[in-house]
Amino acid sequence: MSLYLFQILNGVGLGMIYFLMGVGLTIIFGMMNFVNFAHGAFYALGAYACYVVMSITGSFWAGLVLAPICIGILALGIEKVLVRRLYAVDHSIQILITIGVMMMIREGTLLIWGTVPKSIRVPELLAGIVAFDDFVYPVYRLFIVGVTALIGIGLWLLLEKTRFGMVIRAGSERPHMVALLGINIDKLFSMTFIGGVALAGVAGALIAPIRGVDAFMGVEALGIAFVVVVIGGMGSFSGALIGGLIVGLVQSFTSGFWPAGTNVMIYSVMALIIMFRPNGLLGRA
Amino acid sequence: MIKLKKAIILASSMFLSLTSYAQAKDVTIYGVSSESGAFANFGKQGSKGLKLAVDAADDAAGMKFNYSIIDSESNAGKAARKVKAAISKSDARYFIGSTLSSTALAVGKEVDKAGGIYINGSGADEITGTQCNKAMFRWSAPTYGAVNASLIPVLDLHPEIKRVYTITPDYVFGEAMLNNAKIILKKRGIELVGNSYHSLKEKEFSGYLSQAMATKADLLLVLNFGSLATNTLLQADSFGMKDKMQILLVWSSGLDHFRTLTPKVAEGIYFGSQYWHEDESPANKAFVALSREKLKETPNYPMAHYYQMTKLLIDSMNATKSADPDAIRKHLEGLEYDGLTGREFINAENHQVEKYFYLLQGKKASEMKDPDNYANIISKAKYFLPANETGCKM
Repeated sequence: MSLYLFQILNGVGLGMIYFLMGVGLTIIFGMMNFVNFAHGAFYALGAYACYVVMSITGSFWAGLVLAPICIGILALGIEKVLVRRLYAVDHSIQILITIGVMMMIREGTLLIWGTVPKSIRVPELLAGIVAFDDFVYPVYRLFIVGVTALIGIGLWLLLEKTRFGMVIRAGSERPHMVALLGINIDKLFSMTFIGGVALAGVAGALIAPIRGVDAFMGVEALGIAFVVVVIGGMGSFSGALIGGLIVGLVQSFTSGFWPAGTNVMIYSVMALIIMFRPNGLLGRA
Repeated sequence: MIKLKKAIILASSMFLSLTSYAQAKDVTIYGVSSESGAFANFGKQGSKGLKLAVDAADDAAGMKFNYSIIDSESNAGKAARKVKAAISKSDARYFIGSTLSSTALAVGKEVDKAGGIYINGSGADEITGTQCNKAMFRWSAPTYGAVNASLIPVLDLHPEIKRVYTITPDYVFGEAMLNNAKIILKKRGIELVGNSYHSLKEKEFSGYLSQAMATKADLLLVLNFGSLATNTLLQADSFGMKDKMQILLVWSSGLDHFRTLTPKVAEGIYFGSQYWHEDESPANKAFVALSREKLKETPNYPMAHYYQMTKLLIDSMNATKSADPDAIRKHLEGLEYDGLTGREFINAENHQVEKYFYLLQGKKASEMKDPDNYANIISKAKYFLPANETGCKM
């Protein structure tokens, strides 16, 4: 197996991870027109929640299931107290307030769990490697690709093929019209926000075994998530998948010939795409 | 009545003079540490070590010691501005610590201009080399010492190593680490088959690790540090690289790295370390006991080196019975003392503390004798360039 084929495989694996980071953000923006800069902080909290559950129960699987539920419950509280008051305000105010939420969460994690990073052991069942001639690929990364693909398919079915998804899409286009039809738009937005944030929690829990857990992990994730969403098009579910794959492949290939320039290349590709398609690859004007 | 008035006036004036004497002898030691930003985990631990040393000293030689923490925010420019402000507004003269080499160099210049004393533990060779100055002392071994004291014993233990791949952070510290490694590999006739530079914000190392595997290297030499090193090793473990090659992390955070990685990942990996809590030196035993008594925890490297640097400063004030920076400097130059790593010596020509550096190897969980017994000490050695070869001109 040539190194290039391996880089493609690794790039696809990374791309699926980045899709998972970006999809919650794009759903919240696309459906609710709400810019959530606290997305990375929820991702970090998901990783910490998984760490805590695993420390108590000894089971990674319990952590993976309970982490997004815990983050979803937290999101419910934040949405009720704060976020629902921001739907109608300007994006700049949404950004400022969600940055504040991000900082509060980050400092909170530092206070509770301290400054020393934590790690989560890959479960025994997924601890091995798959060999391709001279190259190996961790089973756990393949597991992430599989889980992310399942999540992606599930979300697509939910949003495109169910009545619930139809109402959400209609609500994002004409919220007042949907409200006039007797649908509780506040409840709909609340559920969308909780779902989007819970996806950040899933991403944090899934990625924790390969990147560790620390209070600052959310900042990096937020940057990547925005690149993915901007490349794919703000609010586009399919765009997030394509954006994630592009970022993953660019990163994987660049690390082979210009390791120091991986971030430069990622942002350059983003700049190139928005030069020709200002709304991203699949974004609407 | 007149006698009583005189007695009151006399007592009051004595009390006032005693108070003013005590105030004049108050000494504030400023800890420069990353309390926020990317290296906050290191800085906050370091501050604990400084506070421990100050609290343990309390008052000595008629001086009352206090501390004040300056948050460098993991940013050299901000750190230098804050130190400058402390010098001009609070007449600060005694400074301890830094996380990044760039911070140490910037702060060192400010303290030198003010005629103070600054003891730090950063890695860049320039600190006690081309950018040395009379105010600046360094406790930690520089990159030269760290690379020599860790890479040479690994190569001795594994003569089968013929091909080495390096992963290097793309800034002054990483470049110095890589250059020192190249010199050793060249001397040994070992091939450097590849190197991956990465940014200080990197989280994903799989691309670099696949490059290393593609070159069929015998040794993966990890030249980054902190959370970058943690991610590198976690991902190397998940790629099964421990079964394919030896792995050496030259600049580890010691105990913190082992705690984060857990024995399952750390087992078999080599770690260079500035400090290890199980060293048998009397000073270290006393320090570990103090930390366990006061903080209820086993000390790690950031705590230990801030503690040692602060203690060195306080001990010098005690020995000279003075807080005069010039007197302290003269006392420190050429001083040999019982340090945390054993007998340590301060080179008068470049202000480098010549201390031991450890090579550790991660243990199996089943071999650990206590919850902090993560590693075996493979070797401990001192490697320092002669001062006249460091480029230091005071």
